[in-house]
Amino acid sequence: MSSQTQLDEELDLSKFFDNLWVAIVWDDPVNLMNYVTYVFIKLFNFSKEKAHKLMMQVHTEGKAVVASGTREEMERTVQQLHEHGLWATLQRDDYGRV
Amino acid sequence: MGEFKGSFKEGDLSVALSNDELHILINLVEQLLELLGERNFTHHYQSDDPFAQLMAASIGNLESRIEQPEDPVLHRLLPNAYADPESAAEFRKYTESSLRLVKQTHLMYLREQLVFPVDHELPKADIAVTDPTQWLIAINDLRLALAVRLGINTDSFDEYEKMKDNDRQKPLFAVYFWLGSIQESLISHL
Repeated sequence: MSSQTQLDEELDLSKFFDNLWVAIVWDDPVNLMNYVTYVFIKLFNFSKEKAHKLMMQVHTEGKAVVASGTREEMERTVQQLHEHGLWATLQRDDYGRV
Repeated sequence: MGEFKGSFKEGDLSVALSNDELHILINLVEQLLELLGERNFTHHYQSDDPFAQLMAASIGNLESRIEQPEDPVLHRLLPNAYADPESAAEFRKYTESSLRLVKQTHLMYLREQLVFPVDHELPKADIAVTDPTQWLIAINDLRLALAVRLGINTDSFDEYEKMKDNDRQKPLFAVYFWLGSIQESLISHL
């Protein structure tokens, strides 16, 4: 009927979003700000500025999305964050849905 | 006070630790290694076959569901990767033993570095730091473990400063904040 519906079906957007996962780092009172920034730079190759901004987001908002990708990729990322002592979880990306 | 000097980039990073500081660090590292060692599922396998034992050691007991650790310290060091308990348990089944092994490796590395000076007259050991990342992660795990035991929150430093000298917990709080200052010092020398 509408071309938008056809397009959605062809692209199968829901399937696309189902495959998008995010890794989230949660604030905790122990990990030092400098240390969290250091871990972000080391694991994600972020610039100092970007790592600092994300760390501040974790600190002030309680959490921040630090990476996105397939479920397998995010499981590996969360495992690495746990290896470094950060508190992290993964979940489906809710924000991608309009 | 566990000050780092030199720089990692220049290849001359080192830390000066007094005998007391070494004793404290060694004690904490060994306690945490012991705790992590208790979280071991290989005893479920009653096999004499070395290969079966090796498999059990590397993949854990896949027959049964592995719940999150009851000990709050282990729960913090080996946290759930999913909010949903089912997914978390499934993920834990395949990954907890390797996460535990990584943490044990960092702690064992740090333990090996903590050597008392050969000359007992020397007040401090001067220890070369060639792998600061392992130091950082191991010290961070010690801080996480102590923080759980002490119930650290954002107000803890103010509470610590108000503590009376005869408060039995005060020395442990002091160690916790001292570890934080070591970590800050190390990061600033990278």
